[in-house]
Amino acid sequence: MKTILIGEYREGKMLDATYELFGFARQLGGETVMFLVGDETVLPAYDGTLYLAEAVQCGEYNPELHKKLLLETVQKENPDNIVFIHSSYGWDLAPRVAAALKVAQVSEIVDIIDGGFEVGCCNAKMRRTVTPATSRAVLTIQTGAFPAVQPGGTPAVIKISSDSDGSLTFVGYEPADKKDVDLAKADIIVSAGRGVGKKDNIAIIQALATALGGELGASRPVVDAGWVPHNQQVGTTGQTVSPKLYIACGISGAIQHVAGMKKADFTLAINKDRDAPIGEFADVLVIADVMQFVPALTAKIAQ
Amino acid sequence: MKLLVCVKQVPDMESRFKPDASGVWYNEADLAFRMNEYDEYAVEQAVRLREELGEGTLLTVLSIGPDRVVETIKKALAMGCDNAVHIQDTTVSAKDPWQIASIIATYAQDKQFDLIFTGMQSQDRGSAQVGVTVAELLKFSCTTTIVGFAYDSCTVTTKREIEGGIKGVVTLKTPALVTCQLGLNIPRYPTLPNIMKAKKKEIVAIQVTDFMTTESRVTTTHFHSPMKKSGGIVLEGDVGELVDKVRAILKEKSLVLR
Amino acid sequence: MEATRHIYWNVGHSVVIPMYLMACAAIGWMAWGFWQRLPLWRQGKSLNRCDNYDLRVKRMLAEVYGQIKVSRVTDGGLFHALFFWSFLLLFAGTLVIMIQADVVTPLTHLNILSGEFYNMFSLLLDLAGILAIIMLAGLFIRRFVIQPKGLEIVKDDYLVLQLLFAILISGFLIEGARMAATELHQNPELARFSPGGLLAASLFAALEPDALLITHKILWWFHFVLVLGFFAAIPRTKLRHLFTTAANAFFAPLEPKGTIATINLEDETVEQFGVTTITDLTWKDIFDADACTSCKRCQECCPAYRTDKPLSPMKMVKQLGEYAENNPGGNLIEAVSQEALWSCTTCRACQDICPANVEHVNKIIEMRRSLTLMEGAFPGDEVRTAVNNIEVNGNPFGLAYAARGDWAASHQVSIMGQDSDVDILYFVGCYASIDKRNQIIAGNFIKICAAAGIKVGILGKEEKCCGEPVRKLGNEYLYQMTATENIEMIKAYGVKKIVTTCPHCFNTLARDYRDLGLAIPVEHYSTYIHTLLMSGRLHLTPKPFPFTYHDSCYLGRYMDIFDQPRAVLAQAGGILTEMDRHGSDSFCCSAGGGRIIAEEKLGSKISELRVKMATDTGMPLLVSNCPFCLSMFEDGIKTGGAEGKLRVRDLAEIVAERITNS
Repeated sequence: MKTILIGEYREGKMLDATYELFGFARQLGGETVMFLVGDETVLPAYDGTLYLAEAVQCGEYNPELHKKLLLETVQKENPDNIVFIHSSYGWDLAPRVAAALKVAQVSEIVDIIDGGFEVGCCNAKMRRTVTPATSRAVLTIQTGAFPAVQPGGTPAVIKISSDSDGSLTFVGYEPADKKDVDLAKADIIVSAGRGVGKKDNIAIIQALATALGGELGASRPVVDAGWVPHNQQVGTTGQTVSPKLYIACGISGAIQHVAGMKKADFTLAINKDRDAPIGEFADVLVIADVMQFVPALTAKIAQ
Repeated sequence: MKLLVCVKQVPDMESRFKPDASGVWYNEADLAFRMNEYDEYAVEQAVRLREELGEGTLLTVLSIGPDRVVETIKKALAMGCDNAVHIQDTTVSAKDPWQIASIIATYAQDKQFDLIFTGMQSQDRGSAQVGVTVAELLKFSCTTTIVGFAYDSCTVTTKREIEGGIKGVVTLKTPALVTCQLGLNIPRYPTLPNIMKAKKKEIVAIQVTDFMTTESRVTTTHFHSPMKKSGGIVLEGDVGELVDKVRAILKEKSLVLR
Repeated sequence: MEATRHIYWNVGHSVVIPMYLMACAAIGWMAWGFWQRLPLWRQGKSLNRCDNYDLRVKRMLAEVYGQIKVSRVTDGGLFHALFFWSFLLLFAGTLVIMIQADVVTPLTHLNILSGEFYNMFSLLLDLAGILAIIMLAGLFIRRFVIQPKGLEIVKDDYLVLQLLFAILISGFLIEGARMAATELHQNPELARFSPGGLLAASLFAALEPDALLITHKILWWFHFVLVLGFFAAIPRTKLRHLFTTAANAFFAPLEPKGTIATINLEDETVEQFGVTTITDLTWKDIFDADACTSCKRCQECCPAYRTDKPLSPMKMVKQLGEYAENNPGGNLIEAVSQEALWSCTTCRACQDICPANVEHVNKIIEMRRSLTLMEGAFPGDEVRTAVNNIEVNGNPFGLAYAARGDWAASHQVSIMGQDSDVDILYFVGCYASIDKRNQIIAGNFIKICAAAGIKVGILGKEEKCCGEPVRKLGNEYLYQMTATENIEMIKAYGVKKIVTTCPHCFNTLARDYRDLGLAIPVEHYSTYIHTLLMSGRLHLTPKPFPFTYHDSCYLGRYMDIFDQPRAVLAQAGGILTEMDRHGSDSFCCSAGGGRIIAEEKLGSKISELRVKMATDTGMPLLVSNCPFCLSMFEDGIKTGGAEGKLRVRDLAEIVAERITNS
């Protein structure tokens, strides 16, 4: 079995999540080949073959061109699986490749059980076990679902290139909001989710964070509603954090959020829904009304 | 100019899901259905563009599914779509994203759409494939998970959402397809006159068999609850007692109380 | 000497014809003034408020001549009533004199104004005049010296008060001048019956007879011209309320309180829903602005106004009047402001206290209808979410609809879908179905019914939000959707009687659903429990407890249910200390009018203010009869710092603890 792993590169850096591909590949078994649109100076610690296109020439985001390059590589390598990270890069490129190759795609794999791919569904409340019906398959894996593995070594680089002729143009990046609060360094984070109900209640969550000497975080809907500034958002589109204690208040646990906090040493979740997917990641799930429980806990801790 | 927006009807995610008899999808009993959240952003953006361009622009909404999806189609019409296509399919949940995309592409291929809007993914299946695959099949220019959109003479300028809060600015030439993400807009609440008007708008019903040209490429073998994290405990009961228990746990782990 | 007087003394009978001509002209000009206002009112849509003529006339006479509504508030109101009655007496006296002089005397030579009757007549009218002057002075001091907060002073106030003072004082001066010449010395016996005149006469005592006659003549004409001016001023100043406010007592609605027009959603010709401009209002809505006397009572009892929110019911009514007159095409919603419109809790305190029968609440709901149905507007994103939740899952919390009946699993209750042979259908409502705290109340109600041997059924997952919050927020479409589904379900099970624990469900099912075809009797649990106690089906062991009681708006002011819950609590051993604002003067908890699903972003918290009123009684317990009130007060106790001082409990909890049925 041969697998092509599609690495990710952005703003001059190869993304750490790339190594999770190796973790997945190890579970999958067989040999690996890597494909990356990146830069010669930042190669992955990998001892296999790397098909490398220059991002300077091919663009960091140019799915039409990247697809073309990848299809050429597939033709050469004839792999069984083509694996992406389920990211803004991966979910954008993978279906194009699958369609062009007329093969199955399985999205956002979280686990492999008895050879079947486990994927989340129904807002991560449920799971499906899926198998491709074609001999070759395009797969995308959930960030954080598989361990990051550094195979080590230096890859044998095969340079590839092509000219862009698509109708899509990547203009550039718009930077994220300035970070006043550095959640990445916080030991304790208390995060507010949609379940807090209203903007006024953010103060109650903040009070717990203050009582614990931690920082206030938030899930995406809360940030989108303007209740908490964007720089305090935890999740794939916000910050990835790794505190000692993470308290999720009224956060259902959509994967986009969980991906940002699952490295926490200890997670306490408070939710009224016992089926909330956050329960899967929490060390302790308290089934209660956030607005009743949190003030009571704050009062207790302040004692 | 011709616009298409594809919408899916999904169960409300607050529902409790149970496997159906086949064991590969959810049982529909006791579920409340609504428009897929991401598709609402797609409809809103399409309607905004429709309003901006005015006369001479036709916005069609398409949905695949059993009779119940007409409710969702009506909502899209009430939000401002001009007409609708209901591809009738009672076994839509058994089809994989590739088949769904093929059906849409087969329908759309001779309709000269300039721009297609879809949600970034469905809330129930969550594969994030259908939109991009439709674009691939129709050879449309495409970008995904947009949180910003502008259109000016055959050029679409979008902002893509990228991890870490940054955004990528991408321009596309029409014909194009975009998949829409939370944060793109706030979907309007249909006004009563528009709900009334929507009742008179045309919903063309077509049998899915007319567009079925493909076999499924993935097989679902099992639909189930996720396993809970090992060692994770669930606490329930009186708030006062819960607080004491949680405090004890935190203290034991010496996580608090500096 | 005989006790009578010479009418037209000094001015002579020759004034009769010019006097009547001038009076007719003044009254004509007054009528013309009202005629000119007709087009103003007619801008509005038609509405029949002349049915049940006898009932309306009776109500109007009682309210106007009894001064019932205006005297309900003693500050200002009592002065107004006494002034009204004394001025009315003076007017009637003048009419009697007129009839005597110009009808009776020319025809019969009979003089009714003589003897003992004339003595009493003189005395009564003089006392009325004095009382009127004192009351007027009181009102004058109130308005211009004390200046109660919120009472606006406008140009009309100066004019009207001056005019009335001038008429009353000049009346006494004429009398005084006449008495100085004809009674003071000639008939002192008679003069004693005119104490006011007597006092005025002393002013003229020193005057030469000729000068006295001329002064009298001048004063007579001065007084007469003032009276003519009074008539002419009626339609053109605040005095128009003499007619418009009185007329409003006739036009006031006869429907059950809280009736809102049910929009016919099948009518495809309708293009405007709700009110945006003056022409979307009914004529009565515009007329209300003319009937309003700016007494600011509505504003004073308005929970939104009292907590610094941008709503004043009075200001809104005045704004509508202003637009009707000067800007008929203008956007009323912009004039009143969305924030003001969304701030209303539809508690009906304004409308209840209004002495002019102005209908505030429906105007607000109609403008909200325009906002919601024509623009898809919401007071906030949290309301958008809640409304979507009601649409999808039939409850504002977004809980899966299938879980609505889960609370009942541990209770003695039938699910109608499984067993519909029940005594009553308990329409649980969203709060008691889903909110943990209110589930306890639902459980207690079931326990009470079980003790009384009542078999209770619930719809469970087949029940949806009654639609009240969204209807009050203007979303008639969603209201009718959920209501229709509930009605079909209730009818399908052949229900005989419905009981609710929520006054909002109660009002909606009992009154609003009538328009949509539900005719089954609906009762609130407070009266239902009262009946169970009275009929001996339920027995309680009284355990004494001191408490204060909150009349929820929708049970009290809307449904006039004040006594039964108090009687139930008394039987349970309750010792009641009322809050200042209780009964029909009760003060809203903040959750009516759909505000239950909205965040209270503006001003201070209404619930905290009401909790303060409760703690002011010194009672440790506040008893409520509504899930919204209970939730708001528990919140208000926490945020208002009344924890430990006050607890809030529901009537059902109190009763359930004292059941002695075995």
